[in-house]
Amino acid sequence: MPKDFILSAEGVTKSFDGFKAIDDLSFYLDEGELRTIIGPNGAGKSTFLDLITGKTRPDIGKIEFKGTPITKRSEYQIYRMGIGRKFQTPSVFANHTVYDNILLGLEGRRGVWSTLLFGRTSTEQRDRIYDILKTINLAHKANEQAGTLAYGQKQWLEIGMLLAQNPQLLLIDEPAAGMTDEETVKTGELILSLAGKHTIIVIEHDMVFVRQLNSKVTVLHQGHVLREGTLDEVRNDERVIEVYLGRKKNV
Amino acid sequence: MTVIVLRKHTHWVVFYFCLLAGVLIFEHPLYAQAPTLREALAEVLPSDTTAHDRFFNQLAAAEKFDDTTRNLLILWRNEELMLYTDAAGKAIPVSIDTPDANGKSHLFSVATGQALNDAAGAPVLAEASALTPIDSDATLRKKIQRAMDLADISSANPDTRKLAARKLGTSQRKENLSLLEARLLKESDKSVRKSLAEACALIRLTDFSSPKTQIAAANELAELDCLGATEALRALAANDQMDISVRKAAAKAQKSIRDYKDLVNFFGTIFRGTSLGSILLVAALGLAVTFGLMGIINMAHGEMITVGAYAAYVVENIFRNGLALSPLGIPISIPGMHAGEGLFQWYFAVAIPVSFCAAALAGLIIERLVICHLYQRALESLLATWGISLVLQQLFRVVFGANNVQVNSPSWLMGNFTVSDVTLGYNRLFVIAFAVLIVVGTWLLLSKTRLGLLIRSVTQDRDMAACMGVPTRRVNMLTFAFGSGLAGLAGAFLSQIGNVGPGLGQNFIVDNFMTVVVGGVGSIVGTVISALSIGISDQVLQQILESPVLGKIMVLIAIILFLQWKPSGLFPTRSRSLDS
Amino acid sequence: MSATFRKTEIILLGILAFIALVLLPALNAWTPPESFFHISNFTINLYGKYLSYAVLAISVDLLWGFTGLLSLGQCLFFSLGGYAFGMYLALKVGKLGQYKQDLPDFMVFLGYKELPAHWEPFRHFWFAASASALVPALVALAFGYLAFRAKIRGVYFSILTQALTYAGCLMFFQNSFMFGGNNGLTDFKFVLGHDIRNAATQRGLYIATGALLFLTYIFCRWLTQSKFGKIQRAVRDSENRVLFSGYAAPNYKLFVFVIAAAIAGLAGALYVPQVGIINPSEMATDKSLEAIVWVAVGGRGTLVGPVVGAFAVNALKSWATRAFPDLWLIILGGMFTLVVLFMPKGLVGLPGQLYSLWQKISRRRTNAPPDGDTSFPEAPSDHQNPNPES
Repeated sequence: MPKDFILSAEGVTKSFDGFKAIDDLSFYLDEGELRTIIGPNGAGKSTFLDLITGKTRPDIGKIEFKGTPITKRSEYQIYRMGIGRKFQTPSVFANHTVYDNILLGLEGRRGVWSTLLFGRTSTEQRDRIYDILKTINLAHKANEQAGTLAYGQKQWLEIGMLLAQNPQLLLIDEPAAGMTDEETVKTGELILSLAGKHTIIVIEHDMVFVRQLNSKVTVLHQGHVLREGTLDEVRNDERVIEVYLGRKKNV
Repeated sequence: MTVIVLRKHTHWVVFYFCLLAGVLIFEHPLYAQAPTLREALAEVLPSDTTAHDRFFNQLAAAEKFDDTTRNLLILWRNEELMLYTDAAGKAIPVSIDTPDANGKSHLFSVATGQALNDAAGAPVLAEASALTPIDSDATLRKKIQRAMDLADISSANPDTRKLAARKLGTSQRKENLSLLEARLLKESDKSVRKSLAEACALIRLTDFSSPKTQIAAANELAELDCLGATEALRALAANDQMDISVRKAAAKAQKSIRDYKDLVNFFGTIFRGTSLGSILLVAALGLAVTFGLMGIINMAHGEMITVGAYAAYVVENIFRNGLALSPLGIPISIPGMHAGEGLFQWYFAVAIPVSFCAAALAGLIIERLVICHLYQRALESLLATWGISLVLQQLFRVVFGANNVQVNSPSWLMGNFTVSDVTLGYNRLFVIAFAVLIVVGTWLLLSKTRLGLLIRSVTQDRDMAACMGVPTRRVNMLTFAFGSGLAGLAGAFLSQIGNVGPGLGQNFIVDNFMTVVVGGVGSIVGTVISALSIGISDQVLQQILESPVLGKIMVLIAIILFLQWKPSGLFPTRSRSLDS
Repeated sequence: MSATFRKTEIILLGILAFIALVLLPALNAWTPPESFFHISNFTINLYGKYLSYAVLAISVDLLWGFTGLLSLGQCLFFSLGGYAFGMYLALKVGKLGQYKQDLPDFMVFLGYKELPAHWEPFRHFWFAASASALVPALVALAFGYLAFRAKIRGVYFSILTQALTYAGCLMFFQNSFMFGGNNGLTDFKFVLGHDIRNAATQRGLYIATGALLFLTYIFCRWLTQSKFGKIQRAVRDSENRVLFSGYAAPNYKLFVFVIAAAIAGLAGALYVPQVGIINPSEMATDKSLEAIVWVAVGGRGTLVGPVVGAFAVNALKSWATRAFPDLWLIILGGMFTLVVLFMPKGLVGLPGQLYSLWQKISRRRTNAPPDGDTSFPEAPSDHQNPNPES
């Protein structure tokens, strides 16, 4: 089965103190695909990303990235294979400048000795950083502490760090949270512009945003895949409606 | 010089007690019926060696060797029996009591135990110098001692009998064998029978004329697990003039007994480890509450232990003669109750709650002044409380002095008893029992009471609990006070096992933190298991490595390696506030 | 992107180095004792001690202030360095010891006839000097590897380093461990052939310690300004984020831990000949915490702070232990608690703290409304936990 999927998860289960957050989940992603994962609270969306990025390890099942098992690797090893993640709550280096945040995200060697001895920033790198800062609209704040940014700006900064990393697989957890409508649209455009060059998984609650992305949608429920398909197919699925009923009638 | 003075002093103490005991016993109707032994003694006392020997033989064969006779023999040996010549010129052996104001004493007949009366019925009073002392020489004193040793196996007290049998066995004198065998037939107490059998076997071991007897004796000793026989067996096994079969049997018996000894030592170690673990547990439980549940690193936790220990010390002194302290030259005097022995026994029952409250109060103050500013800042709480710990240690030094003080245990905590050669001290047993009570109590408090519910809610999510109307400030305060109080209890126990000094708690702080970390932060079950396993492995390793320090180091290394395997302890709790 | 050193900083450093390394020793050597400018031998010796404390403090701050590792084991590394050099000094006593034998006194006392093999190479100065950095570094490497591999963080790391120090302290207290038991190593006579009690030798040691401090400062300055330093501080602020940015945070921590151990070891090596003794009580956890006090008082997260703190607290200690011997520990403990509670940035950060306080007061006095910018609700600063909800 696993032909040239960039990411595949098979029979993955993860339980916390008896509660099965992920239950026999199987999931396949083609190279270059943009996929949106939706699902009610507690469906296991973030836990799934945790499992991919090595934050937690599955009890059983295997996850492969480009045919290589990654369940036994540590967080930074997985990152270096080319998987980047934006967290649900923006997590940036609050006591570093915006510029330094992007610098630390920049692709390149990450060993102790290389940062110690060859840590100088080249002119190309500097240009690259300013390009990214322009893209995420933070060029004017380059020398400010990241901790002083507004919530939405932090979200963008984190996306900027992802851009700097230039990973093959991007995992983006609720990018639109805390953004104004205008910013949300801009974020959507940014993600769409990345699609194709990168493989992307987006987790989102905001249905307007999901519609904007217009991608294949996977619905998670109680730790396993409930339905996959286009947004319209999913919206009209009986089981999906049942799961969401009372919570998101307007879907 | 001092030795002589001391010995003289002892004489008087023994003398006084003998008399006291004598007077008490004499009034008992049973003894008024003139036991034959003492009459015989009275008869031979003024007489010669042959008569003495006759008496000693009679003594050895006696059915029952009573304490009165024993005391009289001691008096005889110590040259404290006198001859009183009465009006009729008859010499009567007597003992005397403490002289009155005129230097005169009452006289008590050795034969009857009654006070001597003159013709008019008034008690006879005499100065000691007016009486003829009954002298004894070294040979006689030795004989008296041996006669007593022999007679002791007929004592009314089983413990005395057991001890006497052991003593006779170890001396391995063949002439005592028949006596021991005869006694063995009559003996009814099981443990005394064992000692007697061991003594007989030990003596038979020296029967060089019959290798068969010797082998049988060696086998019997092995069967009886006679711990006292190892030395004799070893000597026999090493004796190259012995028959080879005897030597083999001796070596085999020696090995069998050594195995048994190892077993006994092992259980003794387990017991000591359990009691040490229990103290560790009580203190660590307090830490599990403050560190595990509240996420506060209280480096002053050790000082809470010390507070508890000093509280016990103060209570003890209040029960006695009071306490005079002079911190920084300011005299403070705490009046004492001058309690009698009976009442004093109860001081520890008072000290336990006082220790708890004192430490809880100290914890409360610390929480209000410092720690309440430091929730969610674990590292800072570590540093700030270390500062407090320094201040407290110095305060102890200023108030109670830099030297250790001793806290006397009530007598009911001092004894011990033996199960299959394993000695169990009452103080250690008490600690274990009390630790069980405290663990159960803490568990009930946390899981069954309303306060416990509030504590757990604050543990899981302080902000959310506050939103739900939980008075987090008060809950924090009470939890911290409770945790500190538990440390105070541990201090009270420690005061019963060793001395109390300003640095007492410091010795425990590392162990305590280790216990909590190994057990899994916030888990009471984990704390219990890890405290016991650390306590026991500490004792076992100390025994194996024959060095307390190496044992401790090994435990620490083991803990570091253990955390490789289970970084969040035995029972990890998934509390988000602790992740970082 | 500023260069590693600013111009003013270089000038200031140069002046300070001149005063400490040239002026003070010169005043000690070439002014008559009754002169106003004379610096006594006692003072030079005292300052030399403070200088080695300052180096230790920098190593503590490199871990705590810059990497967020509150190690209670720095005094262990300090003492290990001290012991390594102390062994050299003890072997140089020769036949001048109490027992007039080649072996150090305590070995004669314990009945040894020959020098144990692990003592042999310490006859050589350069071996001892490099061992004073390498031995602590190796211990730190072994321990750090295990601890960081197991993801032991925060207070757990502190507790574990405390246990490590405790174990080391117990070990050195043992006579059979062959480092002099609880008396340690003392009664040194010569260092590099010079009489250790000679004023000139002590002056030399003072200058060497000052040079070490100077070099340590420059090295740490370079380290913390490099990209490595940025990652180091990122580890302190949000280790998880660092991991998810592809940096092997454990390796970074291990590197800093080992470097800090080596620095502390060198400080210890220079401390021992100046105080003339090294014993296991130097390893007690309390000593580590005392060094942490210096850093906290001076100001953590800066390189000047630890130096200021080491001098200030120790000068205070020298005075207070004489003026109020009974109260010194109460002063130290109380001061520490207050600093942790109210002066998180230490003496170095005090001007800034006072300035903002003054601003607040003056604003209140003029009854001006609060700044519009700051009324915006700040997002929860839960950056330790990048993903709190699953």
